[in-house]
Amino acid sequence: MAMAAELLKADNLTVGYGRRPVLHGISFTIERGDFLGVMGPNGSGKTTLLKTFLGLLKPLSGSIEKISTEGGHLLFGYVPQRESLDFHFPLTALEVALMGRFGRIGIFRRPQDEDIAYVMDCLRQTRMDSFADKPYRALSGGQKQRVLISRALAAESEILLLDEPTNGMDMVSERAIMELLSELQRDKNATIVFVTHLLSTIERYAHRVALITTDGQLLIGEKSQIMTPEVMTKAYQPR
Amino acid sequence: MMELWSVPFLRHIVLAGLFVALGLSPLSVYVVLRRIVFAGAAVAEVASAAVALAVLFQLAPFPVALVLTVISFLVLSRLADSPRLPPETLVGMLYAGGSAASVLLITKAPRGEADILNILFGNILTVPVSLLWSMAIVFGLLSLLQYVAAKEFLISAYDPDMGRTLGIRVGVWNMIFYGAMGLAVAVAIRAVGALLTFTLLVAPGASALCLTERLSRTFTIALLIGIISSLAGVALSYQFDLPTGSTIVALLVGFFVISFGIGQIRKAT
Repeated sequence: MAMAAELLKADNLTVGYGRRPVLHGISFTIERGDFLGVMGPNGSGKTTLLKTFLGLLKPLSGSIEKISTEGGHLLFGYVPQRESLDFHFPLTALEVALMGRFGRIGIFRRPQDEDIAYVMDCLRQTRMDSFADKPYRALSGGQKQRVLISRALAAESEILLLDEPTNGMDMVSERAIMELLSELQRDKNATIVFVTHLLSTIERYAHRVALITTDGQLLIGEKSQIMTPEVMTKAYQPR
Repeated sequence: MMELWSVPFLRHIVLAGLFVALGLSPLSVYVVLRRIVFAGAAVAEVASAAVALAVLFQLAPFPVALVLTVISFLVLSRLADSPRLPPETLVGMLYAGGSAASVLLITKAPRGEADILNILFGNILTVPVSLLWSMAIVFGLLSLLQYVAAKEFLISAYDPDMGRTLGIRVGVWNMIFYGAMGLAVAVAIRAVGALLTFTLLVAPGASALCLTERLSRTFTIALLIGIISSLAGVALSYQFDLPTGSTIVALLVGFFVISFGIGQIRKAT
């Protein structure tokens, strides 16, 4: 059996804000086609870990190796919490999704017709192409999330990182978003890492689980190994 | 308007109004969206203090104002994310410090008060040809920069984390943006004074944002509002013998009131 390609490899990694460590000495790998759900109690460091993957925060110690299967830098498709984006900006869904191309267009160049065509294709994949000209801020939470996923796809990234993708959504919208991510993983062998505080979402959709415990440890493995009453009780135990 | 154009002195006023509107109106969209409206006012005060400082030590006012204005914006951009204090605090301190320094330095300056006030607060009626050239060059280059770096400015303001993950040097682009703002404010204040500079840095963008849901159209509408207000302000002030700068400011505020009303009606229907 051929070995799966490794995209992210953390070795004895300690992450945190400023000098304050949140997660200590963690080691793991993320492989191509992984569908990894990251969970843990509030304030346990889920978003901190995600931002360290993205290079937005520097690790306090240890190393994180980012390996592109296409040569060059490993490209991330980042889907932030949609509430973090400023609603005052008068942008259409297409203009928001087009930002995913900005890293590929090059400095001092403007998006060309082929960039717009590529982004329209990404909006089609998330079934948002008919909303391309609609104001982004007027869309529902689920529709905004689809546009942000389109934006991440538009970057032609090798790994999608999503921060609380279904936060604040009703059950129908939550299910639709997670089904979409499952479809992308299944049909395109996309590598997806999502952070959530919803155990039910992880249980239903993730293939592997990374559980952050209250004492700053990371347990990573198959759902059957991690989502047991003993492990969960220990992880969520107040310190 | 043709009558205004036929007299050289009035032609200068028309050109000064036009250039300053061309330079500041598109910037005003980002000033509003980045929530740095009062940073413009604070840095305008620093520019005034810089001019007073230059007069006191008999230096050329414009280069001193330019350096201190750009530095002020860069400092604001770097310290805006301070975890200890909200960003408005620094803006407030800069405003108070700049205002106090202007007054203190004027009292010790060797030139006549009226002369200094003219240099300090600018006067669109007395813009020299050399300053018109400076405005044409500076605002022309700034407009070009905003056009060619539109995507970098957009993502740095809208979603800096996404920008960084795409490999865009968000910190550098923010510094370029604030540096450009400093340059624009320094030139505009010298030509048209603090009040008109501040209003042009806010009103066209704020009005345009009430009128459209497209960012590209926002810049065009802001530019049109700035130009129309400037030209109409010069014409009206000539016709009715009114102060030119204040007439332009009144028109810009009028545009905003009407745009805000239209925006509210649209939202309600």
